[in-house]
Amino acid sequence: MLAYLLLLVPTPPLAGFVLLALDPYRLDRRAVRAAALVAGCAPLVVMAPMALAHLTKFWGDQIAPIFTLHVGNYEVALAVGLDTLSAVTALTVTFVSACVLIYALDYMSGARNADLRRFFALMNLFQAGMLSMVLAADSITFFLGWELMGLCSFFLISYNMTSPRAFAAGQKAFVITRIADAALLAGLLLLFLEAGSVRLAELIPAGAALDTARGPLIAALLLVGAMGKSAQFPFHTWLPTAMAGPTPVSALLHSATMVAAGAVLLARFAPVLAANDSVAAATAVAGVVTALFGAASAVAQTDVKRLLAYSSISQIGYMLVAVGVGVPAVAMAHFVVHALFKSLLFMASGVLAHAGAGGTSIAALRGTARRAPISFAAFAAGAASLAGLPLVTAGWWSKEAILASAFEAGWLGLGVWAVGLTAAALTAVYAFRPVFTALRAPETETPRGRESWLAVGPLVVLAVLALAGGLGVKPLTELLGGHPPHPALWVELAGAAAALLGIAGSAAVTFLPALAGRVARARRLRAGLQMDARYYALLVRPYRRFVRRLSGGRGEWVTRVVAPGRGTEGVERELEGAVRHARQPEGATSDPVGQATVVLGLWVWRALLLPFSPDRMDMAWMQGARGIGRAAERARRLQTGRVRDYALALALGLAALLLIGWGMTWR
Amino acid sequence: MALIAQLLLPFFGGFAALLAARTGRDRERWVAIAAMAATLAALAAGVALGDDGRWLAFYRADWAPSFGIQVLLAMDGLTAAMLAISSGLGIISVFISWHVTHRSALFHAAICWTVAAANGVFLSFDLLIFAFFWELMIVPAFLLIALWGHGDREAAAIKFLVFNAVAGLGLLAAVFWMGATSDPVTFDAFALAETEYSETAQILLLLGFALAFMVKLPVPPFHAWLPDAHTQAPTAGSILLAGLLLKTGAYGLFRFPPMLFPDALMALAGWGMALGAFGVVYGGILACGQTDAKRLVAYTSVAHMSIVLMGVCGGVHFALIGAGVEMIAHAFSSSALFLLIGALQHRTGTRDLRELGGLQKTAPAFATSFALFFAAALAMPGTANFLGEALVITGMFQVNWVFAAIALVSLVVSVVYATRLIGGIAFGAPKPAVENAPDLHRYELWPIAILGLCALVFGLFPQLLIGWLWTAVEAALQPLIVVQP
Repeated sequence: MLAYLLLLVPTPPLAGFVLLALDPYRLDRRAVRAAALVAGCAPLVVMAPMALAHLTKFWGDQIAPIFTLHVGNYEVALAVGLDTLSAVTALTVTFVSACVLIYALDYMSGARNADLRRFFALMNLFQAGMLSMVLAADSITFFLGWELMGLCSFFLISYNMTSPRAFAAGQKAFVITRIADAALLAGLLLLFLEAGSVRLAELIPAGAALDTARGPLIAALLLVGAMGKSAQFPFHTWLPTAMAGPTPVSALLHSATMVAAGAVLLARFAPVLAANDSVAAATAVAGVVTALFGAASAVAQTDVKRLLAYSSISQIGYMLVAVGVGVPAVAMAHFVVHALFKSLLFMASGVLAHAGAGGTSIAALRGTARRAPISFAAFAAGAASLAGLPLVTAGWWSKEAILASAFEAGWLGLGVWAVGLTAAALTAVYAFRPVFTALRAPETETPRGRESWLAVGPLVVLAVLALAGGLGVKPLTELLGGHPPHPALWVELAGAAAALLGIAGSAAVTFLPALAGRVARARRLRAGLQMDARYYALLVRPYRRFVRRLSGGRGEWVTRVVAPGRGTEGVERELEGAVRHARQPEGATSDPVGQATVVLGLWVWRALLLPFSPDRMDMAWMQGARGIGRAAERARRLQTGRVRDYALALALGLAALLLIGWGMTWR
Repeated sequence: MALIAQLLLPFFGGFAALLAARTGRDRERWVAIAAMAATLAALAAGVALGDDGRWLAFYRADWAPSFGIQVLLAMDGLTAAMLAISSGLGIISVFISWHVTHRSALFHAAICWTVAAANGVFLSFDLLIFAFFWELMIVPAFLLIALWGHGDREAAAIKFLVFNAVAGLGLLAAVFWMGATSDPVTFDAFALAETEYSETAQILLLLGFALAFMVKLPVPPFHAWLPDAHTQAPTAGSILLAGLLLKTGAYGLFRFPPMLFPDALMALAGWGMALGAFGVVYGGILACGQTDAKRLVAYTSVAHMSIVLMGVCGGVHFALIGAGVEMIAHAFSSSALFLLIGALQHRTGTRDLRELGGLQKTAPAFATSFALFFAAALAMPGTANFLGEALVITGMFQVNWVFAAIALVSLVVSVVYATRLIGGIAFGAPKPAVENAPDLHRYELWPIAILGLCALVFGLFPQLLIGWLWTAVEAALQPLIVVQP
């Protein structure tokens, strides 16, 4: 029965969403903030004891059935459940989202009440979606949460509803992730049909045991789904533009939790991937390519938020590498650590941007180290963790575990390791660029600003965890059922060297004008190898053109087809009226198939009409009528008007009558 | 008796509304509401007192015995759901048409008669009576478009009339053929289902039935009447068209071809699914190209109803139940969208997405409602629309993965047109047309709330809907399973 407490985890944010979205009590600002805070932090309060009880082996795996659907012979049993993976991910999500919500109370304090309500309502809905996804014990609840996150992501990216740019960014994110979601849905449905159950505990072993062609297909579809949501190359283009959303949104959705959900998905379905070597290898390759690509693009960024976005892309690439080489536990450890330091980086950069010259460009950060020292320190801690500063940061431990696991995974793994190491060095380069820039003397001296404790409190907590959390990486990996690798010393030293070299390179890029200029000129890299423009040219524009061609104009072509100026006058007039129906009405667009049907109908109509035009039946009647007229004409000539003619006729008639009378009496 | 009431109450309610209009202001509205509320109550009673077997309620009486014509009414879960939707949408149509004053009595009578005729379609199992109601339904809908529509309403009304009347001929011809060749003469669908027809005859008869249903559904290429009719119709007309008339096509497709011509249906199922798949993509793409909000939603109807065709032709449990769920979900979501767009047009005088925008700032409740049905239109899990589509797609995977893949493409396209719609209406800086638009009125809010609740409740607790439709699905599948290898 205690398992049903799990339902209490996503419920409070859902209730918060309903309360804030419908707003039946006309809440004022304070009440909105209070409701959002309570609804957003309650999951942590409920989840923490349960997760700890489970992780300390005090409480076993739990399943709380919600309800069961019966479709023919199939049973679709919805449930939430608690196992190690869901305990770790749910704890991370609840914790990070509580931190971000507290931070948002301060960050969003300038918004109008209605906007504030909308913001927190969507944040709460997002929490509910993410939590139902990580706690799901069946594929339907999983997908429900997955899609709910996408919906919230769309609305939160375009939170600034008057900005066309924000809307376009949200739309782009929604469409690209939906493409991947369609693949995921296909994979989940196929898996369901194969396994005959939606329960993950039955689904995943059944998927792993498949030995038909469907096995790799399902694994590949799941991989595509994960890559879309996690903005992995080549689906990555939506994430940098998604930074149009407010900073708390970027901190929660587009770095720590939602974007990393792809890694959670793959960790969840790791047995299915492991059963299909080719797909597992593809996962590792896709991950490491993305890691390198994201890190290289991040180096060239001039905007902190975009830099961090590319960084998320790259870091989740590492998680995919870990799943691909068969150590999902390590991937999840990195998921936890990444959630901590990436949300920290985003939130701290938000404070620094407010303290700086305004705007989110890296150059504007100059001098903020002195103006907002606590936030700067927190940011530096996050950057150190991201860069993998050896030994003292959590990021080092988790990333090193991934690289070492790859190193131990055969020839392909060796290649992956080498590329991953390069990416790690680049990571250090970009991670420290904002830090060093913030340290530089400002162009104009301004006094130290006030740092609100609401904003700084979560930063400090997260900063401590981003550094000290390294102690927990190994135990966490073991808890998740993985074995932390024991690489040779030189492998570890190579990792450490990469990070330190990277930091040195970062200093060089920041302080040496020649190098800084080269980075500033790397436009192609900054635009993420211009994949965006390529997609636009290859997919979006052709699609729009196609739509426009299909529905452009008002379908005037129909007029030319229907009334080419032939036929008798009557038909012509008949058809002129009909053309009105074939052509689209005012304000409508062309609809070729529909209009073709109308044209076809009109042709049939004309074919039926022509034999009757002129109407031959009518002509026959008229002919008869004319005949009668002619007969009357002749009969009229009898009317001469002369008395002798009439007397003659009278006499003849009388004679005839007498003759008839005589004839009738004659026997 | 409850079944007869479904026909007579709204029918005579219409005449009562005509008469009541003379006695005082707004009387006709309340009479229409009372008639349809009574219909709904009768339905509730009928369901509550219903039997457990194949039918909840059954009624059979001779009408013209020498011609074998009977009054043969039967109600199962599917019928009951459609009847509830029909009366419910009728009531909603009256409430949101409070601003209609031009020939108001006839307007409300037409609403009642549309409901009555649609109820007749949903209930009748005597094919001649079914065909009669099928044709009858066109008349009040034609009046609604032609008399109270916008813009080029006569042309739209004539287009609606011609398409549906011509398609109805196919149904009529098939019904007459079946009646004439039966011995003794009967139009009883259950009796005719036992008749053995030759393969060619079955296919021809099926094509006759399918023509009527596919035009009403509508599936491309027979959809040309729908966008015009929707755009030129008054709001109530759009709601009844989307929520009711299209559903008669879906219902007919669901009910009769599997029952009467299982062999022919299975023989032509591939073509049907292909046509459905084409309709899904074509409707979706054209929806992306629209600037008129109502036309956009009309084309999404084409896409969604094509999914129903796919589901029915799928001939497996998942596909068929998916088709049933989809048609009910679509009744909620599309009629709500038409309601909202109609209300917007009433306020701003335009439906052009380029002239609208910024509703979030000026009318937040309006925008929130749009967001809800936006989610339903793009088949967000948790709404009944997703349930329907996911079930159909599952069924398609069992039958032919190509069609499943095409249906999945529609999930992506739906995001494009749905974001276009909400982007044009709720997002952006308030345009001049929207600036002084008042927020949703109470009479608009509660229909929206009810439709939204239906979409969500059935999406979150699908067993309610699936259990309700299950007997109908089983009955439709039984003959098909015998046919399938």
